[in-house]
Amino acid sequence: MDSICHYRNSEPAASGDGPLRGLRVALQPNFSVAGWPAEAGSKALAQFTALEDATIVRRLRRAGAVLWGSTRMSEFGFGLRGSQAGGALLERAADVELVLDLMGESRAAASRAGVCGFKPSYGLVSRCGLVDLIPSMECCGLLSRSLAQIREILKVVAGPDEGDFSLPDEKAPDFSSQAIDPSRIRIGVLREAREALSAGAQASLQASVDELARAGFSMVEVSLPEHGLFPVVHRIAGSVEASSCAGRYDSVRYGARAPGGKNWNGMYIRTRGAAFGALLKSYLIQGAFFQFDRYGAFEDACRIRARLVAGMERLAAEADFLLLPAVDGAAPEAPATLAETYAQFAPTLFANVTGQPALFLPARPGAPGAGFQLAGPRRSDPRLIALGEHVLKGRKGGGQ
Amino acid sequence: MSPIDYSRRVFCGQLTSADTGREVLLAGWVDAFRDHGGLLFIHLRDRSGIVQVVFSPEIGSTAVCQQAASLRAEYCIAVSGEVKPRLPGTENDHISTGTIEVMVKELAVLSESDALPFPISEKAMVAGAPSASLDHVTEDLRLQHRYLDLRRPSMRDHLIARHRIFQCARQFLDSRGFVEIETPMLTMSTPEGARDYLVPSRVHPGKFYALPQSPQLFKQLLMIGGMERYFQLARCFRDEDLRPNRQPEFTQIDIEASFIDEEFIYEMIEELAVRMFAVGGIELPRPFPRMTYAEAMDTTGSDRPDLRFGMRFVDVTDLFSQTQYSIFRQILQRGGRIKGINVQGQSDRLSKNVLQNEYAKEIVPSFGAKGMTWMRAEKGQLASNVVQFFSRGEQEALRARFGVADGDVLILIADPSHAVVTSALGQLRLHLANRLGLIPAGRFCPVWVTEFPLFEATEEGGVTSSHHPFTAPDRTDFDPRNVEELLALRSRAYDLVVNGEELGGGSIRINRRDLQRKIFDALGLSEEETMNRFGFFLRAFDFGAPPHGGLALGMDRTVSMILQTPSIREVIAFPKNRSAGCPLTGAPSTVKREQLAELGLLNLGGTDKLAGADTAENRVDHLSWVSRIGIAAGERAMMEEVLDQAEALASIATENAGKEEPIWGVVPVANRTRPGTRAQRSPLAETGQLLKSAPAVKGSYFKVASILE
Repeated sequence: MDSICHYRNSEPAASGDGPLRGLRVALQPNFSVAGWPAEAGSKALAQFTALEDATIVRRLRRAGAVLWGSTRMSEFGFGLRGSQAGGALLERAADVELVLDLMGESRAAASRAGVCGFKPSYGLVSRCGLVDLIPSMECCGLLSRSLAQIREILKVVAGPDEGDFSLPDEKAPDFSSQAIDPSRIRIGVLREAREALSAGAQASLQASVDELARAGFSMVEVSLPEHGLFPVVHRIAGSVEASSCAGRYDSVRYGARAPGGKNWNGMYIRTRGAAFGALLKSYLIQGAFFQFDRYGAFEDACRIRARLVAGMERLAAEADFLLLPAVDGAAPEAPATLAETYAQFAPTLFANVTGQPALFLPARPGAPGAGFQLAGPRRSDPRLIALGEHVLKGRKGGGQ
Repeated sequence: MSPIDYSRRVFCGQLTSADTGREVLLAGWVDAFRDHGGLLFIHLRDRSGIVQVVFSPEIGSTAVCQQAASLRAEYCIAVSGEVKPRLPGTENDHISTGTIEVMVKELAVLSESDALPFPISEKAMVAGAPSASLDHVTEDLRLQHRYLDLRRPSMRDHLIARHRIFQCARQFLDSRGFVEIETPMLTMSTPEGARDYLVPSRVHPGKFYALPQSPQLFKQLLMIGGMERYFQLARCFRDEDLRPNRQPEFTQIDIEASFIDEEFIYEMIEELAVRMFAVGGIELPRPFPRMTYAEAMDTTGSDRPDLRFGMRFVDVTDLFSQTQYSIFRQILQRGGRIKGINVQGQSDRLSKNVLQNEYAKEIVPSFGAKGMTWMRAEKGQLASNVVQFFSRGEQEALRARFGVADGDVLILIADPSHAVVTSALGQLRLHLANRLGLIPAGRFCPVWVTEFPLFEATEEGGVTSSHHPFTAPDRTDFDPRNVEELLALRSRAYDLVVNGEELGGGSIRINRRDLQRKIFDALGLSEEETMNRFGFFLRAFDFGAPPHGGLALGMDRTVSMILQTPSIREVIAFPKNRSAGCPLTGAPSTVKREQLAELGLLNLGGTDKLAGADTAENRVDHLSWVSRIGIAAGERAMMEEVLDQAEALASIATENAGKEEPIWGVVPVANRTRPGTRAQRSPLAETGQLLKSAPAVKGSYFKVASILE
């Protein structure tokens, strides 16, 4: 268990009596829980202890959830290198895990653990009290064996929060369970996403297409010719935001200060040079490149982002939901460089760029591959989860 | 008022009760005023001082009193009237003329003033009232309106005192047979080691004069020219990195004399310094003590020793030759040294917490040493976190060597490098003295620092001049190829240091060709190179150069020390600010394109790379700097690779960008404070909890490294 755990709560008792009473929740040390270490996987926050609960943590506690502890994580949750996300579910120590999703981490961790993983719409769940890195893209992802549990949690945590300056004041949608009529639902398969896959991954995608078709959904092929620009936009805009966000790690208010800095600048350069790992550092330096040297290219990436968001919204006229691959078997398992990291998350990062909800479902037992993603338009979260529940229920019934 | 006859004018500050009954004409500025309903009191200020003038309907006409009512601060006026003693009990001890006042009969407003950007009046109009302060006024605002700032009596006093000090120096040097000679401002670059300010030549396009960093070469040429004793109040220019107390142009008293030795310089400069400091009422004790460079470094860790307080270093390396304390043992095995200071009687003010958590963990490491060892003497014992590792004998020997008494704090620094030990201990000595208030106010401790090393080692295994290559060595029979021998040579240079500040320095110069050639040989400069760089100068030594030497005293710094001002800008009429700019004139400024064209500067260098010139800054270094993230050598390849990819990504983004408006997020909100909510202080700040995770805290503040070097 120690290998999974960053911090283990010594008094895991429910403090509230609500709809989540007794539900065991694990999270990552980039979620603030008052009194818990919140180092976010980085030396830049070494020895940092959270002073207050994050909004989401407060809402979970009030609803009776039990905070089990935090799992080891990658530096600021960027990628899964060094992360044990999903481990608490595998060990059956927790029922639900919260995993920050910057480019698909929660869905990839779910795939690794063979459980469901859900990235909500951007702006649905408060990020107040989270250690952030890419504010315009990251969301609190949820891992569980049960989509009902994910639905119950969202019922409690979604919705406006005064403490989150970036959250819209949109009312949360209704997360009650709802019925799905497959005959009235079109599911699109994105041609460009399929064609980008290796042969083996295409075969497992086809198995999920077949599963959904057999369940009675109408399957259609849709196309977004600029699909290949998703990683370009994510990598440029994400790195600029990360570089800007990481500016706060100055060893003045928190973190460890490297000795020997003769003046303020020396203190910054030494401390920050020692604080960040090589992978994150290369991301921050790349972000600085776009901020200081090629700002025009950053703006161009943001123009393309507008086009990609509009393009995905247009596809909603052709298909109610999209079926997409979740992992590309050809991508490296434990990426050490930025290019490898982006290759690993190529199938998932689109949802972070557009802010739409995405659900990872593990493959039907016996089917090839680990599983697939379903995605819907922004704020279609309750229907997307209902769709997932319908698919899983179909498997239990042993129809095929 | 009838036409003003300024020849009748008397000065405000010179009036005394002896002038009672006299009719006087005064002219100056309205410093302050008080209106007592019909009776108007004004502080009238001119350069000499302030006198109170009174407008009363019983003395002046109605017209004069009405006009007086319109006066405002800093109106320039002339008044005439009669000097009267003040009523008993209304005397003002803030001003020298506080026992009298002038009853005004006539008034002329010579010129009006706008509202002031900051208060000028410094003298309260009522006895016992507080004087105005400029504490909240930024220095740049003062510099922007320097002409107003100079009206303040304290600035005026500084400039007048500066003039007195300069006059005193001129008279003294004249009395010793020195001749004041000006040397050119437009000249060749001199080898002082700082960057030059360059002046483009219009007549010789593409060529430049340099403003002098000092008149060094010219004053030596004046000696060869037979002037024998020269001085100049010389303006010097150095384009150096910004420091709080440094100006890009500054004034020095530059002195050179022939047929003299060090003793001549010491005697004369001491006498000069004594007289200059006496202008400020400061008595310097003569003769000034002398300290060799080696002694200064060994006992204070600085070649600018501050001798106003003790805490001289004590070497205790030998006491630990058999030590069981592993940290010391390892350092000594590597040929290291252990030195310390005794902070006498301060153990009450240097708690365990301060010594360990502030000094040992934070402050001393920032001075470059790995750590420090401290011991507090209490009840006849040494107490500290490491004293258990020292044998009884070692503890006894320490107590004896430092003469320890109860209440003392011993601080030791050990390091394999002697230079690290002295440098860190030297900075620590000053830090402790400042923090503990061990520096007595009003004390002045001059010292001559002598016998500097002639050369310093370069990284390439050669040597370079510590001062400049014309400084005479202490002996001439050295082998110019033997680096070890060269590094052991002492120079005939001397620095005058007062209170840890170098006020000036100089040397006896080389006057023989063969010795000069040997020095260049040692520096690894060929005959051809030396002729290229200093040919005009060296040629002069072929014609019977006399033995000579001299010195230069930084006058801005000296005057600032004599007047005890917080910065040298307080003793300069129109100084540059800390960013080497002039807020008053806006210099430096851009210039017209035509001006550049006329000077042939437009295409200078152009876009072509100059042969041998450095290419653009490395992109990783640049990004490392702008994002303040250190990049280790082993990480560079990864960064280069990512930046190559970033270039490619930038091209893809630019090629594929359409005409859409860029978006920065997917929901239509920017980070904002919601209407109706207000910013408020976090309760975590109130309780101090916010400081809990900070690496360094002082009181209720976050502590950071120093912002300026």
